[in-house]
Amino acid sequence: MQIGTTQIEDTFAEAFRMRYVRVIVTAHDDYWAETAARSFTGFASSVIACDVEAGIERRLSPAETPDGRPGVACLVFGFSIEGLAAAVPTRAGQCLMTCATTAVFDGLGATAERIPLGKHLRFFGDGFQQSKVIGAERYWRIPVMDGEFLVAESLGVEKGIGGGNLLLEGKTAGGTLAAARRAIDAVEDLPGIIAPFPGGVVRSGSKVGSRYAQLKASTNEHFCPTLRGRVTSHLAPGANCAYELVFDGADEGAIEGAMCAAALAAADEGVLRIGALNFGGRLGKFHFHLHKLLAADV
Amino acid sequence: MPLRLSLRATTTIPLELDQVTPERLAGLSAAQIERLPIRHGNRNAALADWFEVSGEADDLQLEFTGEGLASLHGVGCGMTRGSIQIAGDAGRHLGARMSGGEIRVAGNAGDWVGAEMRGGLIHVGGNAGDAAGCAYRGSPRGMLGGTLLIRGAAGAEVGRAMRRGLIAIGGDAGDALGYGLLAGTIVVGGNLGIRAGANMKRGTIVQLGSASPTLLPTFARACHLRPTFWRVLTRHLRQLRFPLPDETEDREFELFKGDLLAGGRGDLLTGIAG
Repeated sequence: MQIGTTQIEDTFAEAFRMRYVRVIVTAHDDYWAETAARSFTGFASSVIACDVEAGIERRLSPAETPDGRPGVACLVFGFSIEGLAAAVPTRAGQCLMTCATTAVFDGLGATAERIPLGKHLRFFGDGFQQSKVIGAERYWRIPVMDGEFLVAESLGVEKGIGGGNLLLEGKTAGGTLAAARRAIDAVEDLPGIIAPFPGGVVRSGSKVGSRYAQLKASTNEHFCPTLRGRVTSHLAPGANCAYELVFDGADEGAIEGAMCAAALAAADEGVLRIGALNFGGRLGKFHFHLHKLLAADV
Repeated sequence: MPLRLSLRATTTIPLELDQVTPERLAGLSAAQIERLPIRHGNRNAALADWFEVSGEADDLQLEFTGEGLASLHGVGCGMTRGSIQIAGDAGRHLGARMSGGEIRVAGNAGDWVGAEMRGGLIHVGGNAGDAAGCAYRGSPRGMLGGTLLIRGAAGAEVGRAMRRGLIAIGGDAGDALGYGLLAGTIVVGGNLGIRAGANMKRGTIVQLGSASPTLLPTFARACHLRPTFWRVLTRHLRQLRFPLPDETEDREFELFKGDLLAGGRGDLLTGIAG
């Protein structure tokens, strides 16, 4: 299969079941909402070494937020509800409550599974916190130095998918990086999807395990152009650079939509091949076959 | 099709309808509904003695029509689900101790509307009398949940010993609003009477009117504030179609903490003009 001069490899991305929450952060203006969201979703690229995988889903206009202020919707993925319950309140306490003018709301609404948020953070109020029930939601009002930090008591949890991916292999580092940027720009406004790595792009693609026993993951030498000739290279002939794009999504449709949009945006003459990474189908239950996904568009 | 109860004649003697709720009437035949016992003053009567009954009650919708509906007391008292529409005024104890469902009154409501209600929604199109959302005498707690919306003014002692829920009043409120408030929220679109929040322990009272309230000396000024919860609350009230002035959402308030004699954990917010 080809998109223009770019070959689409006959392979699949292998993804995993995860749980996720949608956190809506609002603030006095766009600057503070964005600042809070970026801080909250920092150090959350991969559960290989981070407590969660998180990213900005999209910016929200005042008309879309519960308090009528500018906001940002963040998605946070973890392997378990318990993991999310430990990570999200800690992150919110350190990165959202501390950020000027913010408030935090649940972006998923009524769900069967929930994790505490304000229920834990309220203790920062040291007895001066107050709850406020508005409609069906309970909020906590925690006194802080610019007024009050308003935070939802709990967050809904849904099943999601982590690990959708594409591999871009290009002739030059510059051309491949530009293709990666185009791909991430194409998925930026898609609902229910995040690309949790820096700028949505991974340069240190990994394999499971290492020759060093203490490491869970290590560099995937088969895709490192500098090791061509020393190890068996899996790069396309002529490729001197590869970038991986990783997507976590609310459901299979979100992952499929992101992979399609990213592949179509990335393909050009500087990109020799678009592939995907998997573990032979042994680890993840979700397999996204590139040819099947792109059949309608190519 | 709702069950329509049309009052046949006006009376100055109270008609007590606290047994007439949507869930009690559902599944009854027209004849059974007409024979339902009500009280007319100190005498027993059947529903059909005073009302012309038409329609069906199976969809849990009741409508009261006719002249002189202010003599109907206890309408929706203790109801758990369904809806009641009153095409005029309502008497005392409207929706008292209700735990679910919805009551809409086109006109005014008497005293004790929503007294000790636990859930559901009451929407009064006009004014309400005294003791709305209140605890009955001797009772430790008043309103325990739900929403009471009064588009007009309200009398004295609104929300006395209220524990949870939301009361919103479009106009002015009488004296001793939120007396002994335990928690919950009372919003007054107009101005407060005297002794607002006396002995309140927690909870929130909001005055949107421009008059400077005469607060008890046991309320201490804290700061000027644009509370975020207020922005969420105004959106919630607008979703309930409760009228609020323009620019209300971004309103700046003066915050008072009180009642200091009861711990000072309550909030009393008064609007700042301009």
